[in-house]
Amino acid sequence: MSAVSEYAHNIKDTVSTIFEGMAVTASHFMRKPYTVQYPDRMPVRVQDTLPFRYRGILEVDLEICTGCLACERACPIDCIVIVADKDQQTRQLLLSQFDIDIAKCMYCGLCSEACPTGSIHHTTEFEGADYSLESLIRRFVKDPVIAYKAKKGPETDPRIAPILSRGMAYLDQWAQPGGEKPAGEEPA
Amino acid sequence: MSTLRTEEMTLNMGPQHPSTHGVLRFVVRADGEVMREAIPDVGYLHRSIEKIAEKVGYRGFMPYTDRVDYVCAMFTNQGWGMVCEKLAGIEVPKRGEYCRVIAAEFNRIASHLLSVGAMAMDIGAMTPFAHVIREREMINDLIEELCGARLTFNYMRIGGVAWDLPPGWREKALKYLDHFDPILEEYNALISWNKIYIERLANVGVITPADAINYNLVGPNLRACGIKWDIRKDIPYSVYPEFEFEVPVGNGQWGKLGDSMDRYVVRIREMAESSKILRQALEKIPPGAVLAKVVRNFKPPAGECQIRVESGRGDMGWYLVSDGTGYPWRVHVRTGSFAAMGIIQKLSAGLMIADLVTLIASLDVIAPEIDR
Repeated sequence: MSAVSEYAHNIKDTVSTIFEGMAVTASHFMRKPYTVQYPDRMPVRVQDTLPFRYRGILEVDLEICTGCLACERACPIDCIVIVADKDQQTRQLLLSQFDIDIAKCMYCGLCSEACPTGSIHHTTEFEGADYSLESLIRRFVKDPVIAYKAKKGPETDPRIAPILSRGMAYLDQWAQPGGEKPAGEEPA
Repeated sequence: MSTLRTEEMTLNMGPQHPSTHGVLRFVVRADGEVMREAIPDVGYLHRSIEKIAEKVGYRGFMPYTDRVDYVCAMFTNQGWGMVCEKLAGIEVPKRGEYCRVIAAEFNRIASHLLSVGAMAMDIGAMTPFAHVIREREMINDLIEELCGARLTFNYMRIGGVAWDLPPGWREKALKYLDHFDPILEEYNALISWNKIYIERLANVGVITPADAINYNLVGPNLRACGIKWDIRKDIPYSVYPEFEFEVPVGNGQWGKLGDSMDRYVVRIREMAESSKILRQALEKIPPGAVLAKVVRNFKPPAGECQIRVESGRGDMGWYLVSDGTGYPWRVHVRTGSFAAMGIIQKLSAGLMIADLVTLIASLDVIAPEIDR
């Protein structure tokens, strides 16, 4: 091939491949846009569209917290601080502090995996911007509360039962070691 | 009569350069537009992850492995899980292994998508990057539904995976794959076969097969030199022997064997192969448990072991020494990006400065994986 014909061939190739590429780009004028304008033009809040397993900011349901400290031990970066003392007179476990530093938290989910009742769990909330590091520490205990004690049978207290069932629903999402799959799910 | 004095120019590229794929610095000695050499200066992203393993224990280290290589975190998860299981003699349930392969192959597609898109962007084509990010977002949505996170997955555990596939996820994944295969063709029409793009990549940064072996290149970089070496095929792990897939190798179709275009095309072809593996895995996934019974206070016996995983950036080695306590005595990670950094100094001699960006992008280095 002579240099001139190669030169012409290159130009032809360039023009035709650019045309092919531009055809793909132009076809996007006809397609539905994929982008959305966050946050003010969303039809629903993003938080409501996220899956149940989404690992957002941690939340604690103190009503069903047993004070077992499993989450504190499971946390690899020690962002959870719990103070639980035994009341000498009533022999009950008293929770006087339950703090989570969400600035330190890396949202790994190891704490909620260890929780026996699903008390500590991730929410779908992710917008955590704030003005100071101090305000990023979530303090869940306002006044000392008595730790939850699991009952032999099903939970009867109408105030606690829905919270517990939500917590257990969260736990069901986790794989059970060596066991069967969570109820209500067909093997694929 | 005096001659005009000329001198060599020393340029600094990075650490905060958009084309270095992270915090990475190059010292470039250039003669005009042509480089004498580019010396990579690594270490800006060193977070002593291997040391952290000795402090947080076996279970607590799993989320940290996500940070070794955040573009394909499933493989680092899998590597850490596999090395602990091998040392402690734990057998992962079949369904757990399938879940791992499904998650990991989706992650490989996402990683290669980012790689080929970023390569186009480094060279100056902005549109393809938007296309690949759109596809990657859809994979991220799938993985988010599976494990609750989009980037730092923490999906795998010692002995299996933390979550089973959610109801209806399998159908969604298959639907996505049906959408993905034509998209790959569309992407090729958009940029891959573009004449200008090929001219920028072909014959740039040619690695001979001998050099690739001598410099310890792994993964797509090695395969682009025509060497068929894939850990999934050659040292099979997990359930990969049950799947049929090809190992794409470079053939020098656009220039010399082992040039940047070969490395680019190998990644494009690997995405199609991953899609094939995913279809088979989603078809064949057996019922059952996904997590083996592992004692809560995990303590492997004293000893050492090493495993190899084929990550998005190639052969990733995990080495673990245990002294029988609840904390590892020593952990070492060997990553593909670090090996790829070694050859840049040799390849850069005689290249144009503008081609250094092509070279870095085609080797697909990820700065946190170099330094760990």
